Amino acid sequence: MLVTITIDQREVSGHAGMTILELARESGINIPTICEHPQLTPLGGCRICLVENEQTGVLLASCVTPIAPGMIINTVSDRVLEHRKMILKLMLASHPDSCLVCDKGNNCQLRQLAADLGIGLVELDRIPQPAIVEELNPFILRDMSKCILCARCIRACRELVVEGVLDYFGRGFKTKPATLYDFPLENSECTFCGACVALCPTGALTEKEEMYRGATGHAVETICPYCSCGCHISLEIKDNMVVRVKPSVDNADSRLEALCVKGSYGLDFIHSPDRLTKPLIKKGEHFEEATWEEALNVTAGALKQIKTEHGSASLAVFGSVNCTNEENYLLQRFARGVLGTNNIDNGSSLEHAATRRVIKNSLGFPGINYSFTDLEQADLILVVGADPKTSAPLVNYLLKRAVKFYGAKLILIDPRKTELFYLTDHWLQPKIGTDFVLLNSLAKIIIAENWIDHEFVARKTENYAALAKSLENLSLSQVEAVTGIAEEQMHLIARLYATAGKAAIVFGTGITQQARGKENVRALLNLALLTGNIWRKGGGLHLLQKECNAQGACDMGTLPTFLPGYQPIDDPHARAVFAECWQVEPPAKPGLTASETIFQAKAGIIKGLYITGENPLASFPHSALVKEALESLDFLVVQDLFLTETARQAKVVLPAASFAEKEGTFTNLEGKVQKIRQAIKPLGQSRPDWQIILQLAAALGHPMPFTSLEEVKEEMSELILFYENYANEKDVEEKEFWETGTTHRLPLRKFPGFSPAEYSTLPVETDDEFPLTLLTENTSFHFGSGSRSSRSSRLSKFDSSFLVRINEVDAQKMGLFTGEQVRVISAVGQLPATVEITDVVPEGVVLLPRSRPDRPAIGLFSLYPANEGKIPTAKTCHVRIERSLGHE
Amino acid sequence: MNKKSEVEIDQKKLQDLITHYNQERWPLIPLLQKIQDEFGYIFPSSIPLIARRLKLHPSEVQGVISFYAQLYTEPRGRKTVRVCRGTACHVRGGKTILKQTKEHLGIDEGETTDDLEYTLETVACIGVCALAPTIVIGHQVYGNLNPQKLGQLFKRNGG
Ligand code: SF4
Ligand code: SF4
Ligand code: SF4
Ligand code: FES
Ligand code: FES
Repeated sequence: MLVTITIDQREVSGHAGMTILELARESGINIPTICEHPQLTPLGGCRICLVENEQTGVLLASCVTPIAPGMIINTVSDRVLEHRKMILKLMLASHPDSCLVCDKGNNCQLRQLAADLGIGLVELDRIPQPAIVEELNPFILRDMSKCILCARCIRACRELVVEGVLDYFGRGFKTKPATLYDFPLENSECTFCGACVALCPTGALTEKEEMYRGATGHAVETICPYCSCGCHISLEIKDNMVVRVKPSVDNADSRLEALCVKGSYGLDFIHSPDRLTKPLIKKGEHFEEATWEEALNVTAGALKQIKTEHGSASLAVFGSVNCTNEENYLLQRFARGVLGTNNIDNGSSLEHAATRRVIKNSLGFPGINYSFTDLEQADLILVVGADPKTSAPLVNYLLKRAVKFYGAKLILIDPRKTELFYLTDHWLQPKIGTDFVLLNSLAKIIIAENWIDHEFVARKTENYAALAKSLENLSLSQVEAVTGIAEEQMHLIARLYATAGKAAIVFGTGITQQARGKENVRALLNLALLTGNIWRKGGGLHLLQKECNAQGACDMGTLPTFLPGYQPIDDPHARAVFAECWQVEPPAKPGLTASETIFQAKAGIIKGLYITGENPLASFPHSALVKEALESLDFLVVQDLFLTETARQAKVVLPAASFAEKEGTFTNLEGKVQKIRQAIKPLGQSRPDWQIILQLAAALGHPMPFTSLEEVKEEMSELILFYENYANEKDVEEKEFWETGTTHRLPLRKFPGFSPAEYSTLPVETDDEFPLTLLTENTSFHFGSGSRSSRSSRLSKFDSSFLVRINEVDAQKMGLFTGEQVRVISAVGQLPATVEITDVVPEGVVLLPRSRPDRPAIGLFSLYPANEGKIPTAKTCHVRIERSLGHE
Repeated sequence: MNKKSEVEIDQKKLQDLITHYNQERWPLIPLLQKIQDEFGYIFPSSIPLIARRLKLHPSEVQGVISFYAQLYTEPRGRKTVRVCRGTACHVRGGKTILKQTKEHLGIDEGETTDDLEYTLETVACIGVCALAPTIVIGHQVYGNLNPQKLGQLFKRNGG
C-alpha cells in the first residue's frame, strides 16, 4: 500500500511501515542521524533526527516514526534546527575537546555533525565523565568520556554478532555501555570481532595499536584471506601500508558486514618483520640471499635433473588453500603440463577428501554449496561436529541470528560443549566416533514413523530401497548402548528434524575427520534426502571448510585424481579437452595424495617437491614422519610469505606476495567466486605466486602462454565447470539456482541417490598406554597452520597459551590441577602444554588447540597411508598425559 | 548474626526459582524480584545462571537490574535507613543528620553495615516536612531530629 506524505514541501510516497527517515533518504532529503544505522534495529535514542509535523507542531524522531497518510513534515524548520543544535550541544558538553588527538579523526560523526550545524565551543557547563578504561587487550581501546550513549555498540554486539557482551549499566549520569560486572573486555565474553568499533560514531571505541595513526589515503575492497566465509573487507592504505581493516560497506548484502577478530585485527601479518623479501638458497646449513634469476635457475635445474634421472613420477607438488584460483589452476597445469605428473594435492584434502567423494557419489558433484544467508530462513538447524565460532565465524553469526531473532530451533550433536550449547534446547553428546550410528538411527526412526517426504523421495531421488533395507537390522536399543544416547531422545530429535519444515544441517571437521567420516557424511545426506531438505531453501547442508580457498583449490584440480572442474583424470575425453588447450596431454595415471607423497618421499621414490603456501610440518599429522620425509628429498622448494617450519627444510625458498599485494579470486564455502584486489605493492622483492609459477615454467623451458591474469581467467572459464561466467565477473545467479531447483554446482547427475547405511562399529580400541582420546580444536585467534596468525603481532600477543583441556574426572584420577605443566604424548610424538580443567569435554577426551606452528597438535596424530578410497585420514588419536619435570 | 561474608546461597533454590519462572512468558523481571525477595538481593554470580537459562545475554540481565532502582546486586540490610535531603529538612540541619547517621553506622550512602542490619540511603522528600529534619528507619518515620535523639534512635534500634 502506498502512503503519500509531504516532506519539505515535496510530495513523496512510500510503502506503509516505512519510517519518515527512510522515505526522506529515498527522496534525496538528508536528515542527520547518530544512533540510527541501517544494520541495526532503530532505537530512537539520540533525537538528532528530529523533524516537525507541521499540522500538530509535534517534534518526531524520524528514524522511528512511521509515515502516515497526509503527514506534512518539515525537516529544517527553525524549531527543528534549534532543538537539534541544543541536543548536539548537550552531547558535546559531556564530551572532551580532544578532537585533534582523537583516533577517530575525520571519521567521527559527532564532529562532522557539529561542523555541519556550525557549533563550535560549547557554552554549557561541562559534565565530568569517566575516562579511558584501562584494558590489557591489544585490540580495542575504550574511552567512555567520548561516549554519547547511542547504543550502537550494544546493538552491534547483540544483533550483528550475537555475543551480547555489552549493555547499558548504571542509571542517570553514570550510565554507560559496559560488560558483565563492568569487567575489562578481555575478562568478558568479547571475541574482539570489532563490530562495535566499526559502528561507534565517536572516538569512544577505537582500534588499539594501529601501525599508523591519522587519516588514511584510500581504501581497497577485497576478501579476507583467513577462513572460507570469504568476508568482504576494506583495507585502508597509507604509504604502501595496510593501516586499518574494516568491514566492507560495498557488500551487496549488509547481513554479511561483520568480521571476526582475525579479519579486523589479524591482518597485520602483512607487514610482519618475518616477511621474506628475497629469494633464499641453502648453502650448507644456512640460507643465503639470492637473486630471483639464481633462485629460479637453481630450482629449474634441480627439477629438470630429477625428471631426467628418475622420471616425472618422482616429482610432486602441493597446491595451496590460501592461494587464488588462478594460482591453483596454473600450479596444476604446471604439474601436469610442465613436470608431467598428477602428483598434486592441496592441504584441504586431509580434512575433506573423504567427504567430497561421498558427496559426489550421492549428489553427482563433490561439493555442497548453500548460501549461508539462507540459514536465517531455517526452521531448525542441526549442528553436527562443528564449532562455527572458530572455524567459520560469519556462519556462526548468521546461525545465532537465526536462532535468536528468527525463531529457528537449534540441535547440537557434539562431544564438546561448544558455545552454541547456550542457545540450544537439545544437546546430544554421543560417545566419540559413534555419530554415524546415531545419525543412521535417526533415519530409521524417520522411516518407521513415516515422517519421510514421500513425494520428494519418489520423484527426485534414487536408491531409497537400498537405504530402507540396510536399516532393517539396526537395533535402537543397541544403538543406545553404543552411543550413550537414550532411545526417546533419538526419537525426539528425529521428529524435530523431520517435521520442522526447513531443516538445515551444519557440519564440519568434527565428524568428517573421524575414522568413520564417510559414514557420517553419508548418513547426513540420507537424512536430508529423506526429508526433502536437500534443495529446499532454508534447508540443505552446510559443510564448514576451513581456509579461504579450500573450495577453489579443489575446483581448480589441485587434486591427484581430478582435472579442473572435477573431471576424472582417468577419463580420456576429459584429458583430450585439456590436451587440446595445453598442447600437451595430462598424464593418465592418477597421482599421489599429499599423505602418499609423504610416505613415498620417505621411501625415496619421490625425490623433488614443490610446495606453495602450505606448511605440512605444522598442518599434517605425524610431524616427525613428515620431517623425515622432507629430509629424504633430493630437492625441496617452498614458496611462502614466511620462513615457515617447512620452508626451513627447503633448498630454495621463494618469497611470495600476500593477498593484499595481488589480484585474483577466492571461492568461498558457498561456492561464490570473489575478487581479491591489489592494495599495495609486493613487499621487498616478493612476487605474486602466479607470476612465480609462470617464471618457473619458463625457466624449465616450457613457458605457459600467458602474459596476464586475464588470459589465465579466460582459459579457466573455457575449461572449468561452474566458472563459465566468471571471467566476465558474473557469479552464478542465485535466482536461477532456486527457481529451477538445480544449480550449476549440481549438474552431473539427474537425481541424487541414497546410500545404504553402514553402522557396524569398530571394536573399541582401548589402549592402556594411551587411555585418552585427543581432539583438536580451532581457536578464535589462530587459524589454519597458524603461519600467518602467529605472525599477527596482536593475535599472538593476546593468545599465546597452549592449553590441554581435560575433564574434571580425568584430572582427579591423574591428580592434575589447572595451570600445571604437562606433556601430551601419543604413539608418534609429544607436546608440552598447560592443564585446564573444563566441562567442555567429556571424560576420557582431551582437547588441544590447532594452528600453533610451534606446537602442531595435529602432528600427534598418525598419518595413515591411503586406504581403499585413497583417502588419507587423521584417525582418532590416543594419548596420555604426564606431568612435566621442571621447565621445558 | 548473619554477616555479609557468610551469606550462603542456596543454589538449588535458585535453580528451582529459575525453572519455575522460565515457564512464564516474560519471566525476567518477576524472577529477579522473587530472587531478591528470597535472598535479600540479586547476587552477582546468579546473573550468568539466570541469563543462560532464560537464553538472554548476561549483560542484558545486568542492564535490566541496573535500570531499576529497586533491584540490588549487593546484600541489603534488614532495615533501610533513609535520610531526607529535601529542602525543608536541609534548612533545618538535614546535612548534619546525614553526617551523624553515617558516623553512627560507619557506612557511606548506598552501603550496608557488616552485620547486614542497615543500608543507608538518602531521599528527596518524605512528605512530612513539618517534622523536618526527618529520617525513616525501616517503615518507621522519625521527625524533629537533633543529634541526641538520633543517637538514642540507633541505640534503641540496636545500631
Ligand atoms: S561507545 Fe560509541 S557506540 Fe557505544 S554508546 Fe558510546 S558512542 Fe555509542
Ligand atoms: S568486539 Fe565484538 S564481541 Fe566484543 S564487544 Fe565489540 S561487538 Fe561485542
Ligand atoms: S569470518 Fe572468516 S572471512 Fe570473515 S573476517 Fe573472520 S576469518 Fe575473515
Ligand atoms: S537517529 Fe533517530 S533518534 Fe537517533
Ligand atoms: S524535605 Fe524532608 S520530609 Fe520534606
